[in-house]
Amino acid sequence: MLSEKSLEAIAFERSKYPPEESRSALLAALRIAQEEQGYLRDELITYVANLLDLPPIQAFEVATFYTMYDLKPVGRHKFCVCGSVSCFLNGSDRIIRHLSERLGIGLGETTEDGLFTLQEVECLGACKDAPMLQLGDRYYENLTPESLDALIAELQGGSTDVR
Amino acid sequence: MPHIEIDGQSIEVAAGTTIMEAAESLGIYIPFFCYHPKLSVAANCRMCLVDVEKAPKPLPACATPVADGMKIATASRKAKMAQQGVLEFLLINHPLDCPICDQGGECPLQDITMGFANPHSHYQEEKRVVEDKDIGPLITTEMTRCIQCTRCVRFGQEIGGIKELGATGRGEHMAIGTYVAKAVQSELSGNMIDLCPVGALTSKPFRYKARSWELKHTPGVCPHCSTGCNTDVQSLGKEVLRVLPRHNEAVNEQWICDKGRYAYTGLNAPDRVTKPLLRQKDGEWAEVSWAEALEATLAGLDKMLARHGADKLAGLISAQSSNEELFLFQGLLRGLGSPHLDHRLRQQDFRADAAMPRYPALSMTLEELEREPLIVLCHAFTRHQQPLTNHRLHKAVLNGGKVVSIDSIHQDFNFPVTQLVAEAGADGHLYQQLAEHFAHLHEAPQRDPLAVLAQELAAADNPLILIGSALLHHPQAADLLAQVESIAELSGGRIGWLAEEANSAGAWLSGCVPHRGPGGHPVDAAGLPADAYWEAGMQGFILFGVEPGVDSMRGAEAVQRLANAEFVLSISHFAQEARQYADVILPMAAFAEGAGSYVNNEGRLQSFRAAVKLPGEARPGWKILRVLGDSLKLPDFQYNELSEVSAAWQHAVGDYGMDIPPFQAFPPLHATQALPAGPLLRLGDWPIYQGDPLVRRAAPLHNPLRARMHPQQAHLSGIQGEVVEVSTAAGKVTLALELDTHIPLGCIWVPLGYSETAVLGAAYTPCSVVMAALPERQPESLRAS
Repeated sequence: MLSEKSLEAIAFERSKYPPEESRSALLAALRIAQEEQGYLRDELITYVANLLDLPPIQAFEVATFYTMYDLKPVGRHKFCVCGSVSCFLNGSDRIIRHLSERLGIGLGETTEDGLFTLQEVECLGACKDAPMLQLGDRYYENLTPESLDALIAELQGGSTDVR
Repeated sequence: MPHIEIDGQSIEVAAGTTIMEAAESLGIYIPFFCYHPKLSVAANCRMCLVDVEKAPKPLPACATPVADGMKIATASRKAKMAQQGVLEFLLINHPLDCPICDQGGECPLQDITMGFANPHSHYQEEKRVVEDKDIGPLITTEMTRCIQCTRCVRFGQEIGGIKELGATGRGEHMAIGTYVAKAVQSELSGNMIDLCPVGALTSKPFRYKARSWELKHTPGVCPHCSTGCNTDVQSLGKEVLRVLPRHNEAVNEQWICDKGRYAYTGLNAPDRVTKPLLRQKDGEWAEVSWAEALEATLAGLDKMLARHGADKLAGLISAQSSNEELFLFQGLLRGLGSPHLDHRLRQQDFRADAAMPRYPALSMTLEELEREPLIVLCHAFTRHQQPLTNHRLHKAVLNGGKVVSIDSIHQDFNFPVTQLVAEAGADGHLYQQLAEHFAHLHEAPQRDPLAVLAQELAAADNPLILIGSALLHHPQAADLLAQVESIAELSGGRIGWLAEEANSAGAWLSGCVPHRGPGGHPVDAAGLPADAYWEAGMQGFILFGVEPGVDSMRGAEAVQRLANAEFVLSISHFAQEARQYADVILPMAAFAEGAGSYVNNEGRLQSFRAAVKLPGEARPGWKILRVLGDSLKLPDFQYNELSEVSAAWQHAVGDYGMDIPPFQAFPPLHATQALPAGPLLRLGDWPIYQGDPLVRRAAPLHNPLRARMHPQQAHLSGIQGEVVEVSTAAGKVTLALELDTHIPLGCIWVPLGYSETAVLGAAYTPCSVVMAALPERQPESLRAS
């Protein structure tokens, strides 16, 4: 179900922990599986759990807890908007509403062209510049409707490196 | 030792004690949901917050160890504010549907809300709704009621030994569910209902049947295995509505298995007999009065005895019967002059009879079992045979002990067990090899698991060897027992017996074996054992609570022989099978309807009372036997009260002790060759929910009938489909097939205890297997051809 390369990477993660603590490697193993396959299907989660000799429910608990794991296919760009306290007090709900209206999708949904996914996530530790969102590996802070529009325009234009 | 003060009362407790435990010992109540003394501490409900002096915030009592000089207030303003706050939050998403909730009236959330909540809530927004999951026929889920205490999740992990339920999602989206909504597999799953502090998990068969306060509680003893779990039988009017565990730390702690919890649902099976039935001349059955039925019984017995003599009369009794019934039963048979009576319908090899102990005793208490460092299970799948004895073994493993299983197939244990599995039919050889390894103990470190076990056994101080019922079902049982005994001797270990049924111990002690009378004293003229009745041409049978068609190894043959016998009296709860061969069926009290006593595996004498009235004209078993004995003018049958029978039993059995010598004297070791298998060997035993007449009729517990075979063997035998035809010398049957690597090569596993498979005859016999076509889609069992 996974490539040789991914299996090796999971085995490496597994080797970092004592034999009876295979669950410690679960986060990394799920990440590796997701990186290869794009998202975590139920069968893939079971497969990863079996690789680590864990009950499938345990892997399922972890996969559903962290918003970084995708349980269904996501778009090319995933807007992960923080909805925790600082961002909320600074208007994260307005940010989410704006994105939702602009893209025509609700939380957890993907645009028809497969370009954007919208998601609300828990605190990402950038409270001083709230409201914020994460896109790929990068944080976008002090968001306003205008800055969001500019961001969307650039992404729709095909850019992948938006500063 | 830390000295602390709770609500002004001072106490000295051991270091490491939590505030909750200290308060408990002072009799101070702290409200809680997620805390449970038998489970790990999660501290996630926050209900037990208490005010600790100098601590800036309230602390959870269940997870805070005491420190010397701690001053704790459980009802200060700070503590109360915390409790009220927690409850307000817990109730935000709770539907407050108590009027339609089965938990209402026995709900900690309801009680604690009444006792500790602020009557006003600030919450006016919408409540969340969580989708219910279908987790099988035993437990109803109403997940919106869940407060995420995770007791069920921890139970599955820590007690059940299988992680089935889990908490998925996060924060407000967290919900309890099984992975991909799989039916809950643990045989202890029903305990999660008792653990659930709200109405999220409730009993499916009990749903909407009654309110908890309407129920009458009667202390009972579970009749489904030799652990003898204490139960609380709850009834409304004439109906048993549910069975819950009754707390007894020495026996079942606070658990019971699903078999004990749900078997009562079989009580109202359609073939329940509530009036005496008499076979008419034309072969039809008629309901008759007790007087007529007794008259017919006496006439039938008289005629049979006059024509064939008492040597052609045999008695079979269930080991689920009470001591009183067993005692009267042997008195009846022996009084009539027949030495042929037995309770061991499933045994095939009786050569070791003289060597058997007085009764199958664990030879220790269940609590002691938890502290054993090395336990060897000989053909004992305790997880399904004695689920709560198995729980003690699980605890022994958690305490650092080791459990090894020697068996004919790999078993699905719920804790780590080293498994040594015989090759097809070579069980004796496996034990013999193990014994031989004792001669080479000092050789270099071994890789062969048998050699490792021999070394471990020799090194262990007094290891424990437990003999399971499957060993006694084996056609070479006597040889295997001799092997086990020699292994015990070589290793300096002890032997304990895992008795098969609730009152197997009582059956031996009461004298319901052909070679021993009450108290285990040898009788002058020993009779034949159960399995020999079919060939011996018995003409009269008295059956008590048994269904030989599915309870014996050669079921189809048993039914045939019974049908050909001149007179068969069946004293029973259910009529379906007896209608095929009996002449008279007398309706008997079933589970929860009669009183009596059992001796459990430890040798613990436990009595139980009737919880509900008898249905129709059914009568307690002991009364039926007493009337029969009295009408037959036998001596010692003039009892009026059960207590008189109990006293007579006590007197006859005497003092039997809990720690008894395992064997008396054993016949010399026999050579053990592998059983003939051609082309395959048919293995089989009674599955967990097929073991006795009541549980076979409990609808929620039914498992589909499946033959099991190793995928590689299926490949070798050229089997590709999901249906096979299995034939033995006795007959053939078409069955659904499940591929299962637990079954050794060269074998097919076909369970006993089903009328469909009775035609195949005894287990451990040669058979052949071919692919079969399904006439139409029938996922469950298929009828015998």
